[in-house]
Amino acid sequence: METISVCEVKKSFKVYFDKGNMLKERILFPNRNRYERREVLRGISFACQKGEAVGLIGKNGCGKSTILKLLSRILRPNEGTITVNGRVSSLIELGAGFHMDMTGRENIYINAAIFGLKKKEINARLDDIIRFSELGESIDNPVRTYSSGMYMRLAFSVAINVDADILLVDEILAVGDVNFQSKCFEKLREIKRAGTTIVIVSHAMEQLYEICDRLIWIEDGMVRMDGDVRQIAEAYLVSMESRRT
Amino acid sequence: MGRIRELVEYREMTASLVRRELRGKYKGSILGFLWTFINPLCQIVIYTVVFSMIMRSGLENFNIYMISGMIPWFFFSGSVLQGAGCIRAHANMVKKIYFPREVLPVVVTTFQFINMLLSFIFIIAVVIVEKGRFNPVAWGYLPLVMLTEYLLALGLALLISACTVYFRDLEHITSVLLMAWVYLTPIFYSMETIPDYLLPIFRCNPMTPVIEMYHSIIYYAKPPETAALAQAFLSAIAFLVLGSLVFGKLEENFAEEL
Repeated sequence: METISVCEVKKSFKVYFDKGNMLKERILFPNRNRYERREVLRGISFACQKGEAVGLIGKNGCGKSTILKLLSRILRPNEGTITVNGRVSSLIELGAGFHMDMTGRENIYINAAIFGLKKKEINARLDDIIRFSELGESIDNPVRTYSSGMYMRLAFSVAINVDADILLVDEILAVGDVNFQSKCFEKLREIKRAGTTIVIVSHAMEQLYEICDRLIWIEDGMVRMDGDVRQIAEAYLVSMESRRT
Repeated sequence: MGRIRELVEYREMTASLVRRELRGKYKGSILGFLWTFINPLCQIVIYTVVFSMIMRSGLENFNIYMISGMIPWFFFSGSVLQGAGCIRAHANMVKKIYFPREVLPVVVTTFQFINMLLSFIFIIAVVIVEKGRFNPVAWGYLPLVMLTEYLLALGLALLISACTVYFRDLEHITSVLLMAWVYLTPIFYSMETIPDYLLPIFRCNPMTPVIEMYHSIIYYAKPPETAALAQAFLSAIAFLVLGSLVFGKLEENFAEEL
């Protein structure tokens, strides 16, 4: 069953030279509102099956993160269609929506609610989330007292425990110490086995080897190659190598 | 329709954000939640001095008249003003996570609404102290009037919050407009004292019938006229539909424009 299907998607952004948002600036400096359209995605198509883990690779600025944002519906495509079936959770920006003055436990409720969970569902997952975060007693302290590692662990635990049908991951698997990282990988594999579709953006090839069933190589806003992990990773590295010299 | 269903699905998010607002508002201040009551108390003292000692209004029991219009007005102006900036204030979340964006204006309006409900304790206290009359039948209409005002405030909050994303001056323009708007609504005086040539402005003001209904229930102790209620309700619905349509249209590019 296809959980994600992306069809001929195009996306361009307005790049302002110097944006004036105030009325005064608009009247006084009409030129400041000039912008150019920068095409980031120029007709991308791919599909993901249920339970598949797909890695997106490509050099900086090729549109990988834009694809994730389109999948999570933060952005809308200019052309083409995106169909996503099921609840989406994203490990894109961890901890967005955290409130510093509230305790870890309260933030779990707020954050999980932002992912669209109901109170009952949150209650059922609360223990798992706290255990996974390894915060122990600290869970009832305000988040502002947390170290950055604790903060990320909490955010990660919420996002990964919402039982999403689709999980979007953007380059954030550098959370916590080595033990926590390997636990995260274990968890990712586990939810993949349970049938969650995973889309990962990463530059760390070893991570992709470990989790992905398939790679998609994006170049200049188009799909350059799509298929077997080893094959594409090799071709990609060779191409990067040749560009450097 | 699909958007309303999604909004219902995200009700837990709305509820927890409202709780967060309520708890966060007074966190760190010494008197804390008491400010909900101290603030209107100070306002009423100021306005009482101005309107019953300096500029005499001629209304008896002026305090009841004024407070029964002013607390609902605070709800309305608070929703519109805070609503104007609510998308930009949560730019971080809007750019990073998906959720139905309508949640934000709904949270602001609901938060202000709960503030108004709490302040009604204050209205009741004033009515008792000033020995005003209570008419239970009239008070029975209160939920309907409040609902009407909620829908109107939400409609405007949706409209202005979406436009402010593209045009930031609107936040300041809104605050200036509200400053004038409070005097174009019969809060400190009754409709009878308004000169004829100004009446059309008051009649166009969607808040006029709402405030008049609050006056009717709390000050005159009479149920509002059914026709006035129906008219106010329909115009609130019209604002809500307009607000949602504009919001729905502009919402697509929020993440890029912020």
